[in-house]
Amino acid sequence: MLAFGCLRIGHGERVFVEGPSGSGKSTLLSVLAGVVVPQSGSVDILDTPLHALRATHRDRFRADHIGYVFQQFNLLPYLSVTENVILPCRFSSRRRARALAQSSSLESEAVRLLGHLDMAGELLQRPVVELSVGQQQRVAAARALMGAPELLIADEPTSSLDADRRSAFVRLLFDECGRSGATLVFVSHDASLEPLFERTVRLAELNQARGAR
Amino acid sequence: MTILRLAWHSLRNRRLTVALTLVSIALSVALLVGVERLRHETRNSFSSTVSGTDLIVGARSGPVQLLLYAVFRIGDATNNLRWQSYRAIASDRRVAWSVPLSLGDSHRGFRVLGTNGDYFRYYRYGRSQPLAFSTGGPFDDLYDAVVGAEVADKLGYRIGSELIVAHGGADVGFARHDDKPFRVVGVLARTGTPVDRTVHVSLAAIEAIHSGWQSGVPIPGLQVSADAARQRDLTPQTITAALIGLKSKVATFQVQRMVNEYRDEPLLAILPGVALNELWRLVGVAENALLVVSGFVVVVGLFGMLTALLAGLNERRREMAILRSVGARPMHVFALVGGEALLLTVLGALLGLLLLLVLLWFAQPFIASRFGLFIAVAGLSQHELQLLAAVLAAGLLAGVVPAYRAYRLSLADGLSPRL
Repeated sequence: MLAFGCLRIGHGERVFVEGPSGSGKSTLLSVLAGVVVPQSGSVDILDTPLHALRATHRDRFRADHIGYVFQQFNLLPYLSVTENVILPCRFSSRRRARALAQSSSLESEAVRLLGHLDMAGELLQRPVVELSVGQQQRVAAARALMGAPELLIADEPTSSLDADRRSAFVRLLFDECGRSGATLVFVSHDASLEPLFERTVRLAELNQARGAR
Repeated sequence: MTILRLAWHSLRNRRLTVALTLVSIALSVALLVGVERLRHETRNSFSSTVSGTDLIVGARSGPVQLLLYAVFRIGDATNNLRWQSYRAIASDRRVAWSVPLSLGDSHRGFRVLGTNGDYFRYYRYGRSQPLAFSTGGPFDDLYDAVVGAEVADKLGYRIGSELIVAHGGADVGFARHDDKPFRVVGVLARTGTPVDRTVHVSLAAIEAIHSGWQSGVPIPGLQVSADAARQRDLTPQTITAALIGLKSKVATFQVQRMVNEYRDEPLLAILPGVALNELWRLVGVAENALLVVSGFVVVVGLFGMLTALLAGLNERRREMAILRSVGARPMHVFALVGGEALLLTVLGALLGLLLLLVLLWFAQPFIASRFGLFIAVAGLSQHELQLLAAVLAAGLLAGVVPAYRAYRLSLADGLSPRL
C-alpha cells in the first residue's frame, strides 16, 4: 500500500528513490510505468494523465516513452543480445523511428548503445544465458535506452552486482541518460549509491499509508 | 508478426519438450489422415474394380459374398453355377454380353481365372476402361496363359515363360497340375485392380488340367496327358460366376428377377453397385469406429501440448514481465502463448503428413501385393483437408487455455512477477 501527497520529478532529473523492502517501491514503480493506476489521485508523466488512460493506452505509452531495468533476469533467454536490445522497437514505432534516426539500422543502433556500455565484439555473439550478471544488466540498460525514451526506470538494477561494479554501472547509466536527455528514476535499498545522485526520495518518509514502515 | 517470431524463438528455446509434443501431434495426425486415406483408397479401389457390368450371376449365397469372390477374388464360392444355366441366361435376348468366370486354382499365391476371350473384350474397370495388353495378346492355344501386371512383375514373367497351376488356393507340391504347364502369351497393363494379380487361362484349360482328377486329387490310372486332353470334350460342367452386360439398363431388374427365380438351380444375380453399398454399410461401422478412435488420439496429442504449455507457464512469468516492461500488452502475452500452440499444431500436422507420405511410399508396394489395394501417395483430398482444418481448430482451441492463463498471470503480475 502506498499513499502520499505529491511527488514531482523534473525533466532530465536523476532521482534516487531509497526505501527498504515493503515500503511500497514496486507499487510506486508500477504506477510510474502505467501498469496500475492509483485508486485516487493523478499520475502525470510527460504531461500525459496516465490515470485517465485505458490500460492499452498506458501499455502503448510505456512502450513509447519508458525504459525499464529489472533487478535481475532482464533478458529473454531465447533471443540474442542484439535482439533483446531491439525488443522495445518491436512494440513501439516511435522508439523504432528514433533508433533509426540515430543509426542506419536497428542492429547497428543496438551495437552502438552496447558499445557505450562496454559491451562489444565477441560478447554480442554469446547466448544471453552465458553472460555474467553484470553483462546482462548492461544489456538490459542498453535495451531500456533503445530508441531514447524520455523516462528510465531502474528497479534495484545493481543489487546483484559487486560493490565496485555498482557505481561503475550507475555512472554508465548517467552518461547515457545525459546523452539522450532522459529522466532517471533509480530505486534501491542500497544507501551507498545515494551520494552519486543529485536528489533522493525516501519512500519511508513519503509513504503515509497506515501499516507501511 | 513480432509475436509469432517470438513464439518461434521461444519454442526453439524449449527444444526437448517441444520436440516431444510435436512427435505426439505428428503421430496422431498421421494416424488420423492415414485411416481416412486408407478408407478412401479402399473404397476407390473397390469401386473402380468393376465398371460397366450390370449383373453378376452366381450360385445362391449372399450378395456381398458373391461380389467378393467373383470380382475381388476374396474368399471362395460355396457352390457353382451349371454351364447350361449360364448358357441359358447368356442367350437371353436382353443380354448384350456375358463373361464366364471359373475360379478355384492358384499359381504361387495368385488366383487363376478360367474365362474366355470375351473377358478381354468386355471387362471394364475404373472409368469404363477396357483391359489393355502391355505385351502379347489373349490366349489362343489350350495351354496359353495371360498374366496380370503384378504377377508378371513379382514372378518375372515374360512372353514365353512357363508356369504350373496348383490345385486350390495353396501352392503345395502334391496338388500341382505339373503335367500340364502353361505358357505366358500376354501380359496385361497395370489396372490397380485384382486383375493385376490374376493368371488368366481359358475355361477349356481349367477342364483339361482337372481331367483325371476327382475331389481335388488326381486319381491314379485315370491320368490324361497334356496332348491327350486336347482330344477330349473340354466344355465345362460348371463355372463359378458370370458377369452380364445388358442391352438396356431398363431390363436390369427383369433379368435379375429371372435369374433369382431360375427353376433348374438356385441362383443369385446382384447389381455390383448395390452389393458394394451393402458392403460399405457393413464395413462402415468399423471404419467409423477407427476414425473416431484416431480422432481421440489427436485429442490426446493436443492435450499433451496443453499440458506442456501450461506446465511451462509458471517458469515463464519473468519472461511475461519483461515483455510487459518493453510495452507488450496482456493481449500480446495471450497471443504469444496461443501462437505457440498454433505453431506447434501446424508444425505437428505438417510433420504428421510428411510422416504419412513417407510411410505410404514405403508401404505402398507391400499393401498392393498383400491386399491388392493401390494407395495413392498424392496430395490431400478435400475431406482430408477438412480433417486437418479440424485438427488446427482444435489445436487453436487447446491453445486458448494456457494463453488465457498467461494473460491472467500477466495482468496480475504486471512488472513484478511473484516467482
